Amino acid sequence: MKAQVTGFLKNIVNIKGTNKGLLIQLNDMASYTEILDELKKKVSDPALEGDAEVQIQLAKRHYSTGQLEEIKKVIHEHSKMKVISTKCDVVTVEECNRMIAERQSETYVGIVRSGQVVKAKGDLVVIGDVNQNGRIEAGGNVYVLGRLKGFAHAGASGNKEAVIAASWLEATHLKIADELETMTDELDSLSEQPEMECAYLHTSGKIIIDRLQELRFLRPQISTFKGGS
Amino acid sequence: MGEAIVITSGKGGVGKTTSTANLGTALALQGKKVCLIDTDIGLRNLDVILGLENRIIYDLIDVLEGRCKIHQALVKDKRFEDKLFLLPAAQTADKNDVNPEQMKELIEGMKADYDFIIIDCPAGIEQGYKNAVAGADRAIVITTPEISAVRDADRIIGLLELEENLEAPKLIINRIRPHLMEAGDALDVNEITTHLSIDLLGIVPDDERVISSSNKGEPVVMDPSNPAALGYRNIARRLLGESVPLMTMDKPKPGMFGKLKSIFSSK
Repeated sequence: MKAQVTGFLKNIVNIKGTNKGLLIQLNDMASYTEILDELKKKVSDPALEGDAEVQIQLAKRHYSTGQLEEIKKVIHEHSKMKVISTKCDVVTVEECNRMIAERQSETYVGIVRSGQVVKAKGDLVVIGDVNQNGRIEAGGNVYVLGRLKGFAHAGASGNKEAVIAASWLEATHLKIADELETMTDELDSLSEQPEMECAYLHTSGKIIIDRLQELRFLRPQISTFKGGS
Repeated sequence: MGEAIVITSGKGGVGKTTSTANLGTALALQGKKVCLIDTDIGLRNLDVILGLENRIIYDLIDVLEGRCKIHQALVKDKRFEDKLFLLPAAQTADKNDVNPEQMKELIEGMKADYDFIIIDCPAGIEQGYKNAVAGADRAIVITTPEISAVRDADRIIGLLELEENLEAPKLIINRIRPHLMEAGDALDVNEITTHLSIDLLGIVPDDERVISSSNKGEPVVMDPSNPAALGYRNIARRLLGESVPLMTMDKPKPGMFGKLKSIFSSK
């Protein structure tokens, strides 16, 4: 008996057109070598002309990074198509633990003094000042209930959506994901009274400082409360 | 049982040694038995400021390495009967010749004989600092109203707060120039204490005679009419548990400047 295929997917490799470009669906019950062979055959089809952007849907199957590279290589070598993203419905325990850690919040009460470093995997709440040459670093967002006068790094594991918020934002350096901003006098976004402000990574790739009140429009996803009364 | 206090600052040149000499002298003037320990091995100065340079026979390293007994190395300040002693640093060794355990043992053994042991810490945060802090029960951080000194004080306070055996450090702001503070050209006392957020033990105004008296080997605190001496005497009284109000020098009242001027120009 042939292996039971999930859902509607009867073929090993399925190519569909969507309004965002092409979608390649890989059957999660087929063997890996079967998928590669079939993929090679399908993408080499001269009927698939043009340099379309494709998304790969991996369904409920975990591929190693090496395997994913191999799949992309097959597509890139046998067609002009460009893989822009892959979507997988499963995560490894390792990834899952990292995601949980990044969603958690840690609290530090005290002053982060010169030369001290406070790190958190998820969000970091500092109750107290962060003095010059003091450094706080978080995988998620950074919130300072006090004066932030040192170095703050949010989204340290690559989250570009992370923000830095402080009662008094007078940092010497702000970093979000890989983007670093030195808070020199030349920056016109600096205010005289930097009270209740937040910093976020703008789509332009620059760190922007705004009033704390704007945060709910800038990063609504930070709020974990749904609905309201 | 005495108390060991380390005087530290991080930055050099803010007045650690001068403050050690003056606080030690002020406590001796109050009738307490005090021993000052210079841990700035290789760059000793405390003996000079106290005017005891010529009386040194043995030093800290000699004691630690067993070449002499503690009482042989101690230099007695004859101006204060049996109240003030100095354990000088070695000049021909360096800071790595001592380790924190040795210092701890030494100071532990001396506490029974003194009311106060005041340890003069070298600048920096390396071996010399670690040696100086090892045997202390509490710490006094010296800073001046300069941003660089305050930054280093912040760093040193962070390190002191990590020491489990130490009480929360206290702050002395040295070399205050009232007219600069009033004009907003120097950090004021409030700004510094808020930034460092530790208790203020006292303030010491800047005074030329601190330098001239140090050069003479007579700590300025011996001159009761001097404003800097008053600052040190107040701090000594606070160390003894008295509550002494902070010197008034930063109130920008009309006519105050004239008053200050008269205070500072008086002999």
